[in-house]
Amino acid sequence: MSGFRLDQGGRIDRSQPVSFSFDGVTYQGYAGDTLASALLANGVMLLGRSFKYHRPRGLLGAGSEEPNALVSVTRGPGRFTPNLRATSVELHEGLSATSQNRWPSLKTDFGAINDRLGMFLPAGFYNKTFMWPRSFWDRLYEPAIRRMAGLGEAPTEIDPDHYGATYAHCDLLIVGAGPAGIDAALEASGTSKRVVLLDEQDEAGGGALSDPALWKWLEESLKDLAAAPNITILRRTTAFGYYHDNFVGAVERLTDHLPHPADGAREKLWRIRADEVVLAQGAIERPLVFAGNDVPGVMLASAARTLLQRYGVAVGRSVALMAAHDSGWRDIFALARAGVGVAAIIDLRESVDAALLGEAQVLGIAVELGHSVIDVHGRLAVKGVTIARNDGAGAALLACDALLMAGGWTPSVHLWSHSKGSLAWRDDLGAYVPDQPNEAVRCVGACSGKWSFGSGLVTDSLPTPRDQSRIKAFVDFQNDVTAKDIRLAVREGFKSIEHIKRYTTTGMATDQGKTSNLNGLQIAAQALGRPVVDIGLTSFRPPYTPQSFGALAGHAQGALFQPTRKTGIDSWAEENGAVFELVAQWRRARYFPQGGEGMLAAVNRECRAVRSSVGIFDASTLGKIEVVGPDAAEFLNRMYTNPWKALEPGRCRYGLLLKEDGFITDDGVSARLAADRFHLTTTTGGAARVLNTMEDYLQTEWPDLDVWLTSTTEQWAVIALQGPMARKLLAPLVEGIDLSADAFPHMAIREGTICGVPTRLFRVSFTGELGFEINVPAAYGRALWERLIADGAAYGITPYGTEAMHVLRAEKGFIIVGQDTDGTVTPYDAGLDWAVGKKKPDFVGKRSLSRSDIVAPGRKQLVGLLTDDPTVVLEEGAQIVADPAQAVPMTMIGHVTSAYWSEALGRSIALALVAGGQQRIGEVLYVPMPDRVISARISGTVFYDPEGARLHV
Amino acid sequence: MRRQPPQWRIEMLLIHCPYCDEARAEIEFAYAGEAHIVRPPDPSLMSDEEWQRYLFIRSNPRGRHHERWRHIHGCGRFFNAVRDTATDKFEATYKAGEPRR
Amino acid sequence: MSEALVRTDPVSGLDFVSEGVRLSLAGPMARFSLRARQPEVLEQLLGFKLPRQIGAIQAGAACLGPDEWLLRAPAGTKLSLGSGLPVAITEVSERSVCLIVEGPRAAEVLAAGCPLDLDRFTAGRATRTVFETVEIVLLRTGDNRFEVEVWRSFAPWFRTALETAAGQLR
Repeated sequence: MSGFRLDQGGRIDRSQPVSFSFDGVTYQGYAGDTLASALLANGVMLLGRSFKYHRPRGLLGAGSEEPNALVSVTRGPGRFTPNLRATSVELHEGLSATSQNRWPSLKTDFGAINDRLGMFLPAGFYNKTFMWPRSFWDRLYEPAIRRMAGLGEAPTEIDPDHYGATYAHCDLLIVGAGPAGIDAALEASGTSKRVVLLDEQDEAGGGALSDPALWKWLEESLKDLAAAPNITILRRTTAFGYYHDNFVGAVERLTDHLPHPADGAREKLWRIRADEVVLAQGAIERPLVFAGNDVPGVMLASAARTLLQRYGVAVGRSVALMAAHDSGWRDIFALARAGVGVAAIIDLRESVDAALLGEAQVLGIAVELGHSVIDVHGRLAVKGVTIARNDGAGAALLACDALLMAGGWTPSVHLWSHSKGSLAWRDDLGAYVPDQPNEAVRCVGACSGKWSFGSGLVTDSLPTPRDQSRIKAFVDFQNDVTAKDIRLAVREGFKSIEHIKRYTTTGMATDQGKTSNLNGLQIAAQALGRPVVDIGLTSFRPPYTPQSFGALAGHAQGALFQPTRKTGIDSWAEENGAVFELVAQWRRARYFPQGGEGMLAAVNRECRAVRSSVGIFDASTLGKIEVVGPDAAEFLNRMYTNPWKALEPGRCRYGLLLKEDGFITDDGVSARLAADRFHLTTTTGGAARVLNTMEDYLQTEWPDLDVWLTSTTEQWAVIALQGPMARKLLAPLVEGIDLSADAFPHMAIREGTICGVPTRLFRVSFTGELGFEINVPAAYGRALWERLIADGAAYGITPYGTEAMHVLRAEKGFIIVGQDTDGTVTPYDAGLDWAVGKKKPDFVGKRSLSRSDIVAPGRKQLVGLLTDDPTVVLEEGAQIVADPAQAVPMTMIGHVTSAYWSEALGRSIALALVAGGQQRIGEVLYVPMPDRVISARISGTVFYDPEGARLHV
Repeated sequence: MRRQPPQWRIEMLLIHCPYCDEARAEIEFAYAGEAHIVRPPDPSLMSDEEWQRYLFIRSNPRGRHHERWRHIHGCGRFFNAVRDTATDKFEATYKAGEPRR
Repeated sequence: MSEALVRTDPVSGLDFVSEGVRLSLAGPMARFSLRARQPEVLEQLLGFKLPRQIGAIQAGAACLGPDEWLLRAPAGTKLSLGSGLPVAITEVSERSVCLIVEGPRAAEVLAAGCPLDLDRFTAGRATRTVFETVEIVLLRTGDNRFEVEVWRSFAPWFRTALETAAGQLR
């Protein structure tokens, strides 16, 4: 037990005690504490186990840079968050936190064997050792390594919380509400600018919170800002990423700090677009690199000051300082003045500012200049240190229970770097500082490299008389990377910091090198014998600190994950027990099982109804485009493969759409309503793509054409009525249209009314039966559907879904673009020669149809496939071979694109793309499956009613 | 008939639409490939090699790139842009049909 | 013929009220997509003026693009289709529904998913844009009132998203 609560001081509310638990033990803290400060106040120094060696770890820092004290917090069932930094977890009544990466307990961790074996676990150990045999990796090595090496555990339950999101726009975004950020906000407070000032902490003030001399200024400034109507302050909000054109992503934490979370969102994603960004992210103190610098109780000097001034917590009763920078002296002076015992100040430098020496003398603090700490004693807590002169002589033991490190300061250039601003090296700071901006952004305060913390000596690691290869002097605490590992990487030939980073893992993961990057760079540069600027700097990547997946998803979860588009008739299908499938974003009824039917039985029944009487199908999802203007026919003539100019008003045509490369991209039946007006249909999934492609040609290739395109997909509900009884059912409901075969032939369209509602009535068929597709304004779709169901009862009307639709069309050999074609199929390959207007001088894709490889023999062509055993239904996607006896790998000459049980034919049918297929009709081919080989004979693609007699009735 | 993956993304760029004369978020736009590639007036006159070049060969530079965008969720117009492919910065946007910048 | 067919809306007609905002479904109306290179030709045919500035609303017509207007008119309105003229008039009355978002916090609710800077999108303006990934036509008909046209099949998702955003206002 080293840390303790002082009798006075801090910004905590001592009138509000708070009880909380850590690893099942209950402790007391105060409102205003963090989990870290409250644990330290209770004398708990051991807060975690390290990533690789399972070494005991305590606090290093006091803010979001903390690499060691990672904890898991449980907020009730399903609400489990791993890897939170104890320094950023606000204390509240009932907070329940646990340590990580230890078994069975934090004090007795079995995994710590890795620390003893440390000499066998150098950088790259896993890559080098677990190479062979390859098959062991997935089953043995990786799971075992993951169990040992992981940090927190992933939650296992679905997150019951919900999350908000918003866009925000401002003229000035200030990141960081320390003194520099607050100054920037005050400067803008009298203007008309919309200002957003955000800060990751629960309280605005940043570094000023650790300096009581600034508290009065802080209070007054915040009062002024609160009164300024143009300024929005967001607390508990982390700007995690800085993207193009001043787009900044931030997460606001709304409820985690509350003992009883309110109903609202847990966190909120802010997507902020700013005219100007001011970065006031401050600077982070650098650790020093020496043996034992990770023992619990060794921490940054600035962290000890923050714990003292902000939380009224002393980090020890006898505190030593290892300094290479003036700022640490001021930190330990603050501790001394607050009555904390100080063991000594050890400074790497041979001389320091006389004023500092004078103050130390006044406070009665022993000073050792030109000395370094060469070892730290104690395993679970600091018991003392060995110091020596920098030449290695004069080693002496110094008793203490905490050791502060003051290695200088690193400007936080993370967001600046996300924005691709350039950096300049400053030898005097031993750090990179912002140089040229790449966006409308400027840095103010410590993150700009301008600070008044005093001067210091830049060093890679402290001098030591000990064997460098036998000591663990940590550079990256979170990833357990030592100075030795970096030197080893250099010895093994790595010369760029990018490679050293990947080999040693320094600066990686959630930490993004906040405390380690510059020490790592200095050590690598020293080992390579080159200047730091020559070995490069690794990228800082978003997020600045870890963010929850929930926050990044925002409200896109559950019902709001992605729109599920439903037709007006979908609700009827749901009420009538339909099984659904997703087609693009649409939910479509796949089949309508009755009384415990399986899919096959339902589909067979639905198919029988269509072929024998009448079926009804919701085709509303079909894409529809209205093409209007004097040049409408000319435009379609250029887009589609077949001729359109001579199509008479009132008639329909099957249109095939190619890409310029000659391959089929969409198809559909379209109707000419008037000389200058067409009603196009597209596939369900292709609607948006087809419209975009057509707009592209119209706007950019043929802007002279007077024709316009309007999506009417959602204007119309479409009900397909298919089967020999369709006309009888329809006739009494329709006004103004003569339904007789002569007056209204197959592939015609008529306008009139149905049940008093205007309709565009198509006589078309995707089933091979007499059929109509009734278009009515979408609001009337469901009512008309119900009327047809009611009136159709006399004919045994049967609703059918997409599965039966697929079977019925396959029996007729009608293709489905995207199933029977795959982006490499020409109209000739698909057997659709008849749909190509060979006399047309041009259409989209025509030139490609005469390219040498398109006309070459042996292309895969669409054919029918009839299994020798009629009861066997092939698997879609199955490969086809000519010689079943060939050794693996066999020569695959095609694949099955569609395969179904055909109720009408009493056998299975299939469509397939087969090399030279149209020349192979009658041949027997083979489909090898895991358990057997299926033989099948190539046929034409039309299995049912090849003469089309059933259509023209 | 395929399931579509969620079309979720966070837009980042701010793009000036030359028709709306306004800078709007990238999420309103769709990229549409290299600009100033004109469909030949009579493709039948082209050799296979010329046609192949028109179909498939693109400049793909590092740096200044002439490209097309469509303000698909705005005014609906296709337009041209000069963007630096290394920095992602737009140098200019201009209406379809205007000369190359 | 028996009784006429009844209309079905894709979302509830009931208002949703939350702190500072009310969501409601507008009644049926006629909608037309009007297209022409020369707006004068359309104006002559229709007998009223069309706004020339993209984003402007005038006489129920919102200019959405250089040659595109969305005309919203009382239900049942019929237009001459201008056959033979270099124009395109297409009825799209039932393609979308209109959700009205009004109240002092209406803009905040829309900002949850709409990337526009709504402070600079003043009353009297209209544009096509998105709410997250869903396309909408947004019309600001008052300082605290927006009308949002959204295609029917997206309307349930959109309404749920707006209600969720409104419920999360603090």
